[in-house]
Amino acid sequence: MELAYVVVIILLSLGMYTIITKKNLIKIVMGFTILESSLILLLILVSYKPGGAAPILDKPYEIVVDPIPQALALTAIVIGASVTAVMLAVVIKIYKRYGTLNVDELRKLRG
Amino acid sequence: MSRMNAMFKKLYKLVLVVSLAIFLFIVFDEIHNLDNNSKRYLSEHYISEGVQETGAINIVTSVLYDYRAFDTLGEATVLLTAAAILSFLVPLGKDKMLGTTFTMIVSQTTKFFIPFLAVLGAYLILFGHLAPGGGFVGGVVMAVIPILLTITYRVEFSEYKFKPAKKKLAEDIGAIGFILLGLVGVVTGSNFLANGQANFGPGNTGELISAGLIPFLNLMIGIKVGAGLAIIFNSLIKEK
Repeated sequence: MELAYVVVIILLSLGMYTIITKKNLIKIVMGFTILESSLILLLILVSYKPGGAAPILDKPYEIVVDPIPQALALTAIVIGASVTAVMLAVVIKIYKRYGTLNVDELRKLRG
Repeated sequence: MSRMNAMFKKLYKLVLVVSLAIFLFIVFDEIHNLDNNSKRYLSEHYISEGVQETGAINIVTSVLYDYRAFDTLGEATVLLTAAAILSFLVPLGKDKMLGTTFTMIVSQTTKFFIPFLAVLGAYLILFGHLAPGGGFVGGVVMAVIPILLTITYRVEFSEYKFKPAKKKLAEDIGAIGFILLGLVGVVTGSNFLANGQANFGPGNTGELISAGLIPFLNLMIGIKVGAGLAIIFNSLIKEK
């Protein structure tokens, strides 16, 4: 087990802990971002092979890292950026409407 | 009593997260052991045949724009939807979010950097099938230009230089151009967004004009991502 996987686990747990415990909406968005970056790191780690070249084959290489998780990581980055932007816009709207960012005080959101 | 309750709640959440971490530890250990003795047939095929089949040296680009181009279309649609939602949610107003004014050093440095950013973005977009980069990365670098203008010289100047209507037009051109380029595959009697199967592979592998439709798809995605991110940033900063 490499150290980098432990880093992924720490980041993922940290993001999850932030999402569950924090009360501020901006901090919750930050937790989502940390979680997402840990997943991107995991995708890159899965594709890695020791001593492998980047998948740009201008000349024949012995070992080449797996290109598919890298393409998926690119997709994940773009979608994560879009989702973060939409979340922040909704947070701005919530602040305008209720005057607070504390989740416990947003009573009208409770069903 | 209520303090005890709050402490118990906090401890409960901590235990939940720690058990998640232990579960992930076991799963990743399995993944790591699995790696060494399993063969990945699909990626082996992409690595050994991808250059001949698509004509692009950069295998990540050939996965994105040839083998799984339909996924890329969906991804671009997500970005379009995000830009549409933001310009719908956030009303147009003055920039109240920017509180600071900068000194001359910042504005002169920004002015100095912008041409280099434009060249870097154009390079990343156009050489996406030959070198690291591609439409998404190059588009983000291009979107940094209006964002820098907005931060340094306020929204009014940025929107005088890059008009919102023109940015929206550029995003539409990117989206529609991607679909039209995909339809070229249908017209020539193959699948939607086909490139390697339909034998669009003029030019020698490794030159600028090669790999069939991939450079043009890269260009469309670059225009679309750049315009979309600029619209998103300006909409967020113009909140009243």
